Amino acid sequence: MSSAQLEIQLIASLVAIACAIPGTFLVLRKMAMISDAISHSILPGIVIGFFITQDLNSPLLILLAAVTGIITVILVEYIQKTGLVKEDTAIGLVFPALFSIGVIMIAKNANDVHLDVDAVLLGELAFAPFDRLIISGVDVGPKSLWIIGTILLITIGLLFAFFKELKVSTFDTGLAASLGFSPVAIHYGLMTVSSVTTVGAFDAVGAILVVALMIAPAATSYLLTNELKRMLIYAICFGVFSAISGYWVAHWLDASIAGSITTMLGFLFLAVYLFAPNKGVIAVLYLERQQRTEVSLLTFLLHLKNHTEERERHVNHLNEHINWQKVRSKTVLDLAHKNNMIQLDKNIVSLTEKGEDFTSQAIDYIITNQDSKIEHMKDDFFLFRG
Amino acid sequence: MDIIEYIKLVFTDYTLRTITLGTAILGAVTGMLGSFAVLRKQSLLGDAISHAALPGIAIAFLLTGAKDSNTLLLGALVSGLLGTFWIRGIISKTHLKSDTALGLILSLFFGFGMLLLTFIQKQPNANQAGLDKYLFGQAATLLESDVWMMAIVTGICLLVLLLFWKEFKILLFDADYTKTLGFNTKIIDILITSFIVLAIVLGLQTVGVVLMSSMLLAPAAAARQWTNSLSVMVFLAAIFGAFSGVFGTAVSASQNNLSTGPVIVIVASIFVLVSFIFSPTRGLLFKQIRFIKNRRDLQLHKTLAFMYNIVKSHENISHPHAIKILNNFQGYTKSTLQKLVSKNYVTLNGSMWSFTEEGFKIASNLYNQQTDNNE
Repeated sequence: MSSAQLEIQLIASLVAIACAIPGTFLVLRKMAMISDAISHSILPGIVIGFFITQDLNSPLLILLAAVTGIITVILVEYIQKTGLVKEDTAIGLVFPALFSIGVIMIAKNANDVHLDVDAVLLGELAFAPFDRLIISGVDVGPKSLWIIGTILLITIGLLFAFFKELKVSTFDTGLAASLGFSPVAIHYGLMTVSSVTTVGAFDAVGAILVVALMIAPAATSYLLTNELKRMLIYAICFGVFSAISGYWVAHWLDASIAGSITTMLGFLFLAVYLFAPNKGVIAVLYLERQQRTEVSLLTFLLHLKNHTEERERHVNHLNEHINWQKVRSKTVLDLAHKNNMIQLDKNIVSLTEKGEDFTSQAIDYIITNQDSKIEHMKDDFFLFRG
Repeated sequence: MDIIEYIKLVFTDYTLRTITLGTAILGAVTGMLGSFAVLRKQSLLGDAISHAALPGIAIAFLLTGAKDSNTLLLGALVSGLLGTFWIRGIISKTHLKSDTALGLILSLFFGFGMLLLTFIQKQPNANQAGLDKYLFGQAATLLESDVWMMAIVTGICLLVLLLFWKEFKILLFDADYTKTLGFNTKIIDILITSFIVLAIVLGLQTVGVVLMSSMLLAPAAAARQWTNSLSVMVFLAAIFGAFSGVFGTAVSASQNNLSTGPVIVIVASIFVLVSFIFSPTRGLLFKQIRFIKNRRDLQLHKTLAFMYNIVKSHENISHPHAIKILNNFQGYTKSTLQKLVSKNYVTLNGSMWSFTEEGFKIASNLYNQQTDNNE
């Protein structure tokens, strides 16, 4: 592994961490699409900054782009406040307009600007090690490493300093305001950090893929945990893992590094989406199926309890009366039988003592809706676990 | 180039005619379907779908090796639909919210598409150049066959829209009621979503992945400001969309180095801005004017009420009072007094004022709502 390769992986990992931190809060605050809007609308800021400085890595350019990001947020909020359109429409109106202005500005000055829309949108990590930062003749490393490193340090510093405030204002804005933290200040602080991170990362991974690095790790870890600190740590781990594995995939395929990092993020998300223990699709589908069977079971038991006549309790009658398909009724009948809730006598079904008990408890629960009645049933039945 | 010359050129020049027609049709169909997206609160779905279409284009090229735009669009359609249904899966099966789902699919699909595109570029196949036009769109590459394709799809859209108008409309405004009426909401829903995806995919070649969402939203958001009726809104949105296309093409054709897509988006955004400000009922300008007028009326009423309180202790309601005593009252200004005089509620006599019969009647009933106060 050459030093350039090492540097690329280092930069990619730092970008992933720097994006995962604000990304987690954006996902929790339901503002994920704002990051998409910012990443597009910083283009005019970058172009103006580039006209002035002629350097894609200058601090002024980052500042200008970050200001454009904040302007986007303010514009979106203003349009939303007028009540003329909904929030998502406001986002969808603002950023394409700003992005178009940026594209037109580049196109009109195409002859004397060495700036390409593709480069801004897509970035190219492979070139990052060639742009060195040289302080008084000494090569101290790639420029983008220093930029993203600085941004990351500031982000981590702010995270530790304002963790409590961020946490409270994310989950309970009203409480935050009453405790004396200004939710507005926190909001705009977060927006500023997101903008700065987006700008700092765009020439490494490109504007659109910054969105992936912000949202995907956070969303993936949100499926695994409900605790903020753990979610942050998971998100960072996912980000770094995809950054490094993505680099090697790109190396192997000889394709865009940013693209393959995103693809790795995609596979990670897909895996967690399908297989997460409690919130994955498979787990949810299993749970739903169980609940459906148990609802059927309950209906069945209630029917038995309501009817003392033998005619109503004959297996064949049940089949047509409750109007289930054969397979379904068999499953329910088996389940009830296995749990010793019914007994079969010449195809006549009747409740056992346990079944009677269970049914009356369930009725109690349905009528009173008090959890305490079914506390001990939660272990056996999904239905009551909610 | 003056306007008449340009219009002549539109009819004679093949390229210009194709592009103008293409963008106009595109604007009309996206405006039409965009109205549904906006009203269904799925505004950003367009953004997500247009990005999600990218890997489909790349895969279609990898499989066929040909750059036939219909094949590529079919790929885009499939991957766009896949993205849409995954978004729904995420929203309905997990606790992730719609914004997260949209952002996820948008960026992940786009990144995967980029991976494939760069992979294709490295292949020893000379045919691959120009795939990246789908990123930003190049209206100049539109062919007459593309325009025909757009026209046919727009015709089908229109037909389906007219055929299922009642179903679409009722689903839009009251989904639960639709279900109770026995309509299959799932199928209606899939139908409208598929058409939205189709319209987006059609536009990719012209305005590109990044700006496609605006084509969907802007005409609809502008049209929404002028009406409360769905049919009028859809119609207006189609007109706004078509005009954005025509004007955008005209502006970009008259200047050097201006790509059509961004200019169309800017024109559409200007439509939105104008609608936001100047719409008679919802517009910001008239809202502000109404606000100021209401405030003035209120001040007038306050002054009248204050005068009434002074006057009511006197037996003769026309008993003159000094204007000076009004000075320490907040709502009072010279102009409000003047206005009261002009309405014949009050008469002035030097530095004294006195109520008229009519003014006293109005003032005493001010808060009883027995008189019509809407002046």
